[in-house]
Amino acid sequence: MRIAKMRYFFPIGLFLALILDGSLSHLFSAQFFSTTISVESRLVLLWLVMTICTCGDKVKHIGFWAAVAGLFFDMFYTGIIGVYVLILPVMVIFTRWIAQYFAPSFLVTIMIYLIDVTVMTVLSYGIYSFWMTNGSLVAMVAQTLGPTLAFNLAAFVVLYYPLDRFLRRYS
Amino acid sequence: MRKFGLNKKLVVALVAIIGSFLLIAFSINVRNNRQTPPIIQQFGNDAAAVVDSVVAVPLNGVKTIGNSVAALENTYQQNEQLKKQVTELGEQRAENRALRQQNKQLQQELSLNHSLTAYDKITAAVVTRAPSSWQNIIVINKGSRAGIEKNQAVMSQRGLIGRIIEVNQNNSKVELLSTKDDAVDRFPVEVQNKKGTTVNGLITGYNSTTNQLIMGQVTNKDAVKVGTQVTTSGLGGITPKGLLVGKVVRVENSDYGMPAKIYIQPAADMTNLSVVTVIKR
Repeated sequence: MRIAKMRYFFPIGLFLALILDGSLSHLFSAQFFSTTISVESRLVLLWLVMTICTCGDKVKHIGFWAAVAGLFFDMFYTGIIGVYVLILPVMVIFTRWIAQYFAPSFLVTIMIYLIDVTVMTVLSYGIYSFWMTNGSLVAMVAQTLGPTLAFNLAAFVVLYYPLDRFLRRYS
Repeated sequence: MRKFGLNKKLVVALVAIIGSFLLIAFSINVRNNRQTPPIIQQFGNDAAAVVDSVVAVPLNGVKTIGNSVAALENTYQQNEQLKKQVTELGEQRAENRALRQQNKQLQQELSLNHSLTAYDKITAAVVTRAPSSWQNIIVINKGSRAGIEKNQAVMSQRGLIGRIIEVNQNNSKVELLSTKDDAVDRFPVEVQNKKGTTVNGLITGYNSTTNQLIMGQVTNKDAVKVGTQVTTSGLGGITPKGLLVGKVVRVENSDYGMPAKIYIQPAADMTNLSVVTVIKR
C-alpha cells in the first residue's frame, strides 16, 4: 500500500525538482551566474540520491524515470537532446553502485551526493565541450565546480531532514 | 556465463552512448538548419512550459515582492532625478516627432518601403532559465503563435541580450550573448570612430570574467574612442539597424594600428531579466 504511494510521488518529485532547478536559476540569476562564479542547481540529483539511499529497492524504475527527466531537461532547457538523457541514468547506476557498500546515514548520503555532483558537472562539461565551451578545465573547476558544490551542499543540508522524513514515511 | 553478462552490459552501454551522440548530432542539426523543432518536441516543450508556469508562480511572486521593496527604497532619489529629465524629454520628444515626420517624408520620396530601422516589438516574460553554466539560455512565454521566428534579436529594456534559437507554439528559447558557445550566431554591429565615419564589425565573442563583448572583424583603420555607443548595423538583413548593444571600454590594436578587437560593455544586464522584447523585422 505504501509502496504504491511512492510510485506516484517519485516521478512527481523528480519533475518538481527539475522545474525548481530552472526557476531557482532564473530567480537568483544575478547571484548564480556572475562574472566570477557560475552555480548549477542540482535539486534533481538531490532527489535521485535521496530516493536511492533512503528507499533502496523499494522504488522501482528509477533509472527509467531518470532518463525521462533527462529528456525533459534537454528538450525544455537546452534544446540539445542526448546530454542529460544519458547523464542522469548513468548517475543513478553510479549512485547505486556506491550506495551498496554503505549503510545510509546523513554523512554517507552527503558524501555520495557531493561525489555525484562533481561527476555530473565534469561529465556535462565533457560532453558539451565537444561542440562548445571555450573555457579551460581549470577555469571550469574554479568558476563552476566550486560554487556548484557549495550551493548544492547548502541545499542538501537544508532539505535532508524534511526529505528523509517524507521518503521514510511513504516508502 | 559471467563473461556473457559482462559483454551484454558493455553492449548496452555502447549502444546508449552512441544513441545519445546521434541524438546530439540530430538536435544540433535541427537547431542550425530548421525553423522549428519536430512537432513532438514542440508539444513536449509547450506542455512543460504550462507545468513550469504553475510551479514558478509562487517563486516569481517572491521575486516581484523583493524587487518592489528594493524599488521603493530608490524611488525618492530617482524621482528627484527624473523630474529634471522629464523637462528635457519633452523637448526631445517634440524634436523626435518632427524628425520622424521628416524621415518618413524623405523615405517616401525615395520610395523605401522597408528601411533597415523599421521593426515591430513583441513583449514576452521570462519563464525560466537553463540551470547550466555552459549554455546561457532563457525560456520566454511567447512562441510562433505570437509571431516569433527563429533568429530574431531579443532586447531587455536597456539593450541587446541575444537571439531566438528555438521556437515552439507558445514558448521559445533565447540564447544570451553571454553564452560560451563558439557556434553562436554573430550580430553585425557598428560604431562611429573619431572622424565620424562608421566602423563595421561582428560580435565575435564574450569574456565572462570581465563581462565584456568582443567586436572583431573590424573594417576600418581609424581609431575608435572609448565610451562610444555600439549599435547593430542591420547588415545581413536579419537584425534591424540601431539596436543598442553597449559602449566601447577598450580598443586593442594589432601591429599595424588597426583596431583588431574592440571590447564592449553590454548595456543590458543579462543576469537579471524578467521581461524581454523580441524584435521582429
